[in-house]
Amino acid sequence: MAARVTTNQSSINDDSELTTNDPEHQTNVSSKKRLSSSSNMLATSSLISPTGLTSLISFIVLTCAYISGFMSRLFSVIRFESIIHEFDPWFNYRSTAYMTENGFYNFLNWFDELAWYPLGRIVGGTIYPGLMVTSGVIHWFLHMINIPIHIREICVFLAPFFSGLTALATYLFTKELWSRRAGLFAAAFIAIAPGYSSRSVAGSYDNEGIAIFALMFTYFLWIRSVKTGSVFWSSCTALSYFYMVSAWGGYVFIINLIPVHVFVLIVLRRYSLRLYVSYSIFYILGLILSMQIPFVGFQPVRTSEHMLAAGVFALLQAYAFIDYLYTKIPRAADIKQLFFGLIMIVGLIVFAAVVVLTYAGYIAPWSGRFYSLWDTNYAKIHIPIIASVSEHQPTTWTSFFFDLHLLICLFPVGAWFCIKELTDERVFIVLYAVFASYFAGVMIRLMLTLTPCVCVLAAIALSKTLDYYADTETSDMSTSPVVPTNDGDGEDTESDKNNRNLYDKAGKPKPIPGRRGTPGTNPEAEEDTSIVSSNIKTVVVICIAMMLMLFAVHCTWVTSNAYSSPSIVLASYNNDGSRYIIDDFREAYYWLRKNTPERARVMSWWDYGYQIAGMGNRTVLVDNNTWNNSHIALVGKAMSSNETEAYKIMTMLDVDYVLVIFGGMIGYSGDDINKFLWMVRIAEGEHPKDIREQDYFTENGEFRVDRTGSPILLNCLMYKLCYYRFGELQTDFRSPPGFDRTRHVEIGNKNFDLQHVEEAYTTEHWIVRIYKVKKLANRLQAKNALRQVQRRKSIYSTTKKVAGQARKQGVILNKPQIKKGTKVSKRKT
Amino acid sequence: MFLPKKFDILSEKIQQLTDWSLKKPIIRLNSERFKHYVKTAPRNYSMIVMLTAMSPQRQCSICKQAHDEFQIVAQSYRYSSAFTNKVFFGLVDFDDGSEVFQYLKLNSAPVFIHFPPRMKPKKSDYMDISRWGFSAEQIAKWIHDRADVQIHIFRPPNYSGFLLIILLVTMIGGLLYIKRNSLEFLYNQVVWGMFVVLAILICISGQIWNSIRGSPFLHRNPQTGQIGLFSGSSGYQFIAETYVVFLLYILFLNDHSFYFRSPFYPCVSIQNRCKASNKLIDLSIQCRLSSMFSIGNK
Repeated sequence: MAARVTTNQSSINDDSELTTNDPEHQTNVSSKKRLSSSSNMLATSSLISPTGLTSLISFIVLTCAYISGFMSRLFSVIRFESIIHEFDPWFNYRSTAYMTENGFYNFLNWFDELAWYPLGRIVGGTIYPGLMVTSGVIHWFLHMINIPIHIREICVFLAPFFSGLTALATYLFTKELWSRRAGLFAAAFIAIAPGYSSRSVAGSYDNEGIAIFALMFTYFLWIRSVKTGSVFWSSCTALSYFYMVSAWGGYVFIINLIPVHVFVLIVLRRYSLRLYVSYSIFYILGLILSMQIPFVGFQPVRTSEHMLAAGVFALLQAYAFIDYLYTKIPRAADIKQLFFGLIMIVGLIVFAAVVVLTYAGYIAPWSGRFYSLWDTNYAKIHIPIIASVSEHQPTTWTSFFFDLHLLICLFPVGAWFCIKELTDERVFIVLYAVFASYFAGVMIRLMLTLTPCVCVLAAIALSKTLDYYADTETSDMSTSPVVPTNDGDGEDTESDKNNRNLYDKAGKPKPIPGRRGTPGTNPEAEEDTSIVSSNIKTVVVICIAMMLMLFAVHCTWVTSNAYSSPSIVLASYNNDGSRYIIDDFREAYYWLRKNTPERARVMSWWDYGYQIAGMGNRTVLVDNNTWNNSHIALVGKAMSSNETEAYKIMTMLDVDYVLVIFGGMIGYSGDDINKFLWMVRIAEGEHPKDIREQDYFTENGEFRVDRTGSPILLNCLMYKLCYYRFGELQTDFRSPPGFDRTRHVEIGNKNFDLQHVEEAYTTEHWIVRIYKVKKLANRLQAKNALRQVQRRKSIYSTTKKVAGQARKQGVILNKPQIKKGTKVSKRKT
Repeated sequence: MFLPKKFDILSEKIQQLTDWSLKKPIIRLNSERFKHYVKTAPRNYSMIVMLTAMSPQRQCSICKQAHDEFQIVAQSYRYSSAFTNKVFFGLVDFDDGSEVFQYLKLNSAPVFIHFPPRMKPKKSDYMDISRWGFSAEQIAKWIHDRADVQIHIFRPPNYSGFLLIILLVTMIGGLLYIKRNSLEFLYNQVVWGMFVVLAILICISGQIWNSIRGSPFLHRNPQTGQIGLFSGSSGYQFIAETYVVFLLYILFLNDHSFYFRSPFYPCVSIQNRCKASNKLIDLSIQCRLSSMFSIGNK
């Protein structure tokens, strides 16, 4: 017994050393190598003692989490190639490439001529540059040490690299909140959770990929600074917040959540000087730093989204002052209610000031995108272009489960544990859980911000459960909280066999006596141990291990099947299981790049703007940065009006080529005909006189492209461009010519000619079709020519006619001639 | 001789209609009036007519709602700056003018018809309620479409919700005041914890989706009468389904927090319940997983 006590003490010392050493190392260095060396040093120096073993195990688990987080995101690279995915990443990639070529300052002043013809786009002032700068720095560093890597490779692998770092940040965060074991769980969870990997697979080079790391790291530093109250940590928080601001528009979530945390702490009467120091420093530094980003500018002092932080800052100053008075004035306890009233009055004044300033116009009211989070019907009525995006739909419970699986079930449990043993920092995670789950429910896209929180809370729930169940021996000696057991070894071998060992290893109980749980839990545990026998415990542990394995399988399956398709290269599977790559998009964009004049202007729907500019290097009219609704509506109007009207718009906009996406040939459902109603709707919003949505429906209100479809639809430009000469094509022996495989109908309008445009290029599977807009002069000459030129076509047709007449008059040799007589029978009656 | 008379009739009709609609935005029409003002020839104004059956014995519940919405449209038009004598709003009740229904060959209510000037209504002049619904905004949009009059809907502010909130606040305040000596529960972590966990559960079991989309509670197969709790597609859900999920998540909560002596769990028969719930959880997860697979393979 005595020996155990001594080891406990020594391990307590070691552990405290560890906790002081670790974070410093990890904040200074975010790269993996330094971390590994430091932990290795710690591990080898005291390998024999249980603490050394603990840190070795946690190091191994973290490394495994990092590697598996990195690896599980590489499916798309292995299946296809190292390629940038989807739409927005193409713009990010293009601007990163521009930055590496021309330098940072040129990048900030970059005026992009390829976008939004004829307006152009000032790129430096309209983006969050954090992503480009990050990959630019990595590129510069690697070239400095003579590793000549192309910038594209860095862009492709940036998101998986940062998701590994997110796992480390989550570990640190959870360790501050609960215990190191929970931290290991959380790191393993976030590394493979589909809710996060959906946005960070290799090739999806988007802001979210690095922003979640910045988010978790800022939260960790904030918790740290609230706990210590040191200026150093809160300055670090502000710096990390600056990185987040430069990376993603979601920084608004941080700058609202932290003030809410401070406010709730004041309400809960948990105010302390630590809180005062950390928030004051964080707010002021963070405010100044965030205003350095050109895109953010003066927003932090001028918009309602940031006013909560300012208000809480003012309130905190007042509270601190009143609190100071309270300690200085003699017999202050007698007039306690006066102080209370004073604080309330200050709060009301701050609130009223913000309201008055908003009405006076000094502070911009909530922008539509944020307002639609509270009033869920707002966007549907007022901003159709926001409502049209599928990411902005509310979330069903199935997608919660699909993205988080087991974790979503453990999530409320973790929240409950945190509330039961409430401390300053656990208030934070509880608030985070409530707000994030509400936002994720409103908008499926914000599942991304919920995922880290769910991972943390599920890890807490699981680690607390396992703390209790995974030690079978505590029934004998209940004084020591956790003891290593045989059970853990069994799990270890089992998991080694399965090669997906992170969770089980993390679940392995490790002797960390310096845990932060309140001492009040121990007697309870003692009572329970007398009830539950060790057999039951083993069964429960095996059940949990099974569930974790299912979780790992599910995560891998989801990441591989649902989230790893690059969407510019499509794959289909033949009957024998062999894979067939459909590469039409790149084929078309490459054609554009090589065969069109350099200044050619391409009109397409806005979805493909970034890709045309990025891969085809040609000027586009509208792109995915949908800031100018009227411009988009003009393109929509051109697409949805008939050819003559569209030609007027196209000449007005100087269009040289028109590009449409057509999936009817191979059954690709994301094509322009399926998006067509949105074009009509957006065009109708700006030009209600010319375009009416109702005209594009049949009498029964259906959207059909077959014979029953509305004639306006069957003659509009989009229809004609998609189905030009499609009626001559028989895709299958069983179906008639002109059979659309996406909509499973035979098209209604088959044999038409194009008057003002001509086909320039159609890809192998007809997915991308490019048309050249004819020049105006040709058309006028042909129609108004004084001298009638006999055209070849007419010659053919007349000869045909003559031939036909000749045949009509032909006679069969020796055929008896029948003279037509009148009917006899009729006369009789 | 003929021409001035026609003009006389027309101006007299317009005068009469304007007077009526100034008094009340919706003009009630019976058979004779309908014949005179809507059906017969000299007419250079549009009529938006709602045909309905308002009397209680007809048992038309949506007629009342439709009438309210129509009333809002007419009110907004009457008091807007766009008010002219080009468009009038009329209403025909079945009990006043059943001949009108016969004349138009209608056997259902409510129906909105636009009578364009100098013409008979075409097919598109009948508003398709089954597709558009009959909310005031949709009616205004339809009128804008047919008669080219822009009406900005102004709904009278709804005071009932405001009153309800005031009532609730006063009730809670009163309760607190009455029980002001035992406000302990306000400081009770368990109560607040339950609130927080409830909020989280509501969010993650998809209740927000229900309130935005408004799906049916259950699905009943019309042929077999079979009741479907779960919807087959991954992009849709029924309300009942979300309650089931809600309860399942609570089961988890029970299972893991029992050794806290939580308020959920006053009496202990831990061993049995532990086994049972674990089995259930495993089962449910596997069910769900298999369904996921099937969805994915689709």
